[in-house]
Amino acid sequence: MSAQVSYNMATKQVRYEALVKALHGDLFRYAYWLCHDKHVAEDLVQETFLRAWRALDSLKDEKAAKSWLITILRRENARRFERKRFDMSEYDEASITDTHSASNEQEIENQWLRDKIAKMPEEYREPLVLQVIGGFSGEEIAKLLDLNKNTVMTRLFRARNQLKEALDDEPKVRGQYNG
Amino acid sequence: MDDLQFRRRIYADPNTREEDMLAAMKEDPAKQKFTQELEDLDSRLFKAMNVDVPDDLSDKLILRQTLASHQQQKRKGRVRLALAASVAFVMGLTFNFMQFSSAYSNLGDYAIAHVNHEKDYFSNTAPAIVSLSSLNTKMAAFNGTFTSDIGKLLFADYCRFDGMKSLHLVFQGETSTVTVFVVPRNEQLEFSANFSNAELIGNSQQFKHSNIIVIGDKNESLQQWQKTIGENVRWSI
Repeated sequence: MSAQVSYNMATKQVRYEALVKALHGDLFRYAYWLCHDKHVAEDLVQETFLRAWRALDSLKDEKAAKSWLITILRRENARRFERKRFDMSEYDEASITDTHSASNEQEIENQWLRDKIAKMPEEYREPLVLQVIGGFSGEEIAKLLDLNKNTVMTRLFRARNQLKEALDDEPKVRGQYNG
Repeated sequence: MDDLQFRRRIYADPNTREEDMLAAMKEDPAKQKFTQELEDLDSRLFKAMNVDVPDDLSDKLILRQTLASHQQQKRKGRVRLALAASVAFVMGLTFNFMQFSSAYSNLGDYAIAHVNHEKDYFSNTAPAIVSLSSLNTKMAAFNGTFTSDIGKLLFADYCRFDGMKSLHLVFQGETSTVTVFVVPRNEQLEFSANFSNAELIGNSQQFKHSNIIVIGDKNESLQQWQKTIGENVRWSI
């Protein structure tokens, strides 16, 4: 019996490490766009994976792993707000700007876009991150955020519309960002 | 599909693979171009959103889990050990209690229970098979001898009398067998001179190192039995 137990433990370990390797990047990026802070994002991902380890037996379908982890992470994030009642929606520009200076055109544009994305309303940004980084479909996002699909599609439309307009309106800003 | 609806849907999902959208793109180069623009936007968004992940994050995640589950194992191990120790302790107590405590508080109760327990093994009509000398061999363990036969002895052997080594004798009686126990004197069971239940009566006689208990049915004259025993038994110390 104890051989069986340690066999199960070993299998669980292997599953867990596979999950970590495959999904920690996406989870971290998603967390980052939820909280705009690399350290908080890292803490969130750590808490998420620790909870995932404890509940790993309840994950039956590996294909559902990513949305399962995102659900845990969203709950952890909500808990963070319950714990510390300071307002995180006030976006702090310093935390989003990369400390090492942007060295080329591409980095400058990325920085500029990050700034715009961070300033977007949360309700637009979250589905957009899930779609672009997470690769989730409209239905999946609707399920994760507990919204209906039409609402999700409308928000995605508005999110991209805002960003596209911003890009089209201010093509030169990017060049001057360096100064 | 009108242009506005097409645009809305492309904005919502530039990578759509829905049939009607793909068909609309095929028909109209302007829609195709627009789709291209949005795909380009998405690739720029992806680059911007794709922030660097700390290099050591996956190692940290695995390390933290390993530590956490190690702690958990240790806790479980301690709980199991404590449980096992408790069980062993209770078993030890129970064993001691059963081994060294008396279920009966006095000689009489125990003697009757003992006789009842074995009454089916003995028949009053069985021939006398134990001689005085073999009885005395056994009595030697109690430092006693019988000088002559005190009745027709059907059975004589050592037995456990509430955990004490004692001699169990069965004699032929008037209507049923008469049982005599020679039991070392012991504080464990309270001495009871006369006792009885619905069928059996019994009495006990104290000697220096032993008690002699006689049990028979109600037709038996136990006084006579005790008198005969008293007259015939000799204790060496």
